[in-house]
Amino acid sequence: MSVLAKYRYVFLTGLQSSLVYRWNFAARSAFSLVHLSFVFILWGAAYRGQTDIGGFNLAQTLTYFLAMLVIQFFISAQNEDYQIGEDIRNGMINQFLLKPIDYYAYRLTLFFSARLVTGCLALLPIALAYPLFADTLSLPSDPWRLLYGAPALLLSALIQFSIAYIFGLLAFWFLEIQSFIILSLALETVLGGQMFPLDLLPGWTFRLSQFLPYYYQMYFPTAILTGRLDQAQAAEGLIVQLVWLGILYGVGRLLWTRGLRRHTAVGG
Amino acid sequence: MPLIGYLRLWLACLRYSAVRAMMFRLDFIMWALVELFWMGVNLLMVSVIYSHTSEIGGWNRPQMLLLLGTSMLTQRLLMGFFWSNLFEMGRNIRSGTFDFFLAQPGNPLFMVSTRKVDLDSMANVTVALSLIIYAVRELGLHPGLGDLALYGLAVFCGLAIHYSVLLLTASLTFWTIGSQGLEGGYFTLTEFSRLPREVFKGAANVVFVWILPAVVVSNVPARALLDGFNPTLFAWLVGSAALWVFIATSVFKNGLKRYSSASS
Repeated sequence: MSVLAKYRYVFLTGLQSSLVYRWNFAARSAFSLVHLSFVFILWGAAYRGQTDIGGFNLAQTLTYFLAMLVIQFFISAQNEDYQIGEDIRNGMINQFLLKPIDYYAYRLTLFFSARLVTGCLALLPIALAYPLFADTLSLPSDPWRLLYGAPALLLSALIQFSIAYIFGLLAFWFLEIQSFIILSLALETVLGGQMFPLDLLPGWTFRLSQFLPYYYQMYFPTAILTGRLDQAQAAEGLIVQLVWLGILYGVGRLLWTRGLRRHTAVGG
Repeated sequence: MPLIGYLRLWLACLRYSAVRAMMFRLDFIMWALVELFWMGVNLLMVSVIYSHTSEIGGWNRPQMLLLLGTSMLTQRLLMGFFWSNLFEMGRNIRSGTFDFFLAQPGNPLFMVSTRKVDLDSMANVTVALSLIIYAVRELGLHPGLGDLALYGLAVFCGLAIHYSVLLLTASLTFWTIGSQGLEGGYFTLTEFSRLPREVFKGAANVVFVWILPAVVVSNVPARALLDGFNPTLFAWLVGSAALWVFIATSVFKNGLKRYSSASS
């Protein structure tokens, strides 16, 4: 069986198993609209009495948060770390050690199929609610933003997955990894720009955040597409993003080989 | 069982929880850190927004920190005393392990709600209190004993409301098989308790201020420290606490009647 055909089956199986949970995903997306209303209320109140915060008006800031919400359903790792941890704990990875299939590639393929499902399902409630906030949005139309935004989105998805993969592999060493995951989620939430656009940070902290992987998880593609970064910043960012992906991939591989040495293949 | 019996039972649970926390020390430290980080995230958001604006809904930075601290305090208390107990209740109903609680010689609601105390959350109560004390100092307030007692009472009512909402969602497991998503709904709802009441307009005002008890739980206690005793606000808070406790316990009791265990 050719390599492509092998992972095509994994992808199709992933699609099917994700579709089983379609109502859960739709419900989660509906909840995220409640969160979005929190964001709109908070920032609407912060903008009262002024037209500009950090060089952006209210419409631009709300567009940023909405875009981030949509993008999140398409590229962010959701429970991949937990699933990988469970695979290790339950001995499910044993079968991958015996078959000609790469665990990283297998998980990555499942990740892409799951995001395709969650992304498309999330669009549904958001499209229904769209008329409510259509007037408050402002999206830039420069063609270069799409040109830079598309690879940035793909690289972000890969970075998200690689970080989740690393956290999942911690199960080789620790009995319980949930606290590590939620701890890292707190960092990702704030340094990925989900609480506030990172450009609102004081100059040097913003600059510092650009050298951390979290910046490239969510903020970077969102900021390109919603007009918060210029072309030079986007080009520089793409390079740093690639470097981070390389590092994270390397760490993931290293942990995998090291972890397997400790692995005792319980169950199966 | 007399009241003193329940108290002794609860103290035994507390002792068990302390022993458990000391057995799994790394776990305790990690979960305490998790909560600390999330509190930090919210604090950072407030700081960043206030570095670009001077007020939100008429509340300045230290006032907002007081509101945030109050909201965190209530949430930590809920997490410490009730969260994992009620979370596990849903799971136990599905699996049938819930029988174990019914077989115990005491009120089932008490038995279900107080089995464990999460000491990592209780550790973070001190962090929330520190934030409140910092905000009070920044504001130049000098609350007397009476004010503090009122504040304590208001936080207690807020905790009762949070507990009821959580019990209500967990009790839905008696009817539906899966209610995992609902716990996420609780977190989404508590986000609104970190906002001043004044920012809610139109439909949001109706939903989050009047229908759902998201705003009242934090705004009334914070107002009590800022402006002193306000009979209308207190009547509102105590009234909603009574109402939500009534609704939640009724749903729980009705669910209990439906419960038919699960075969194993």
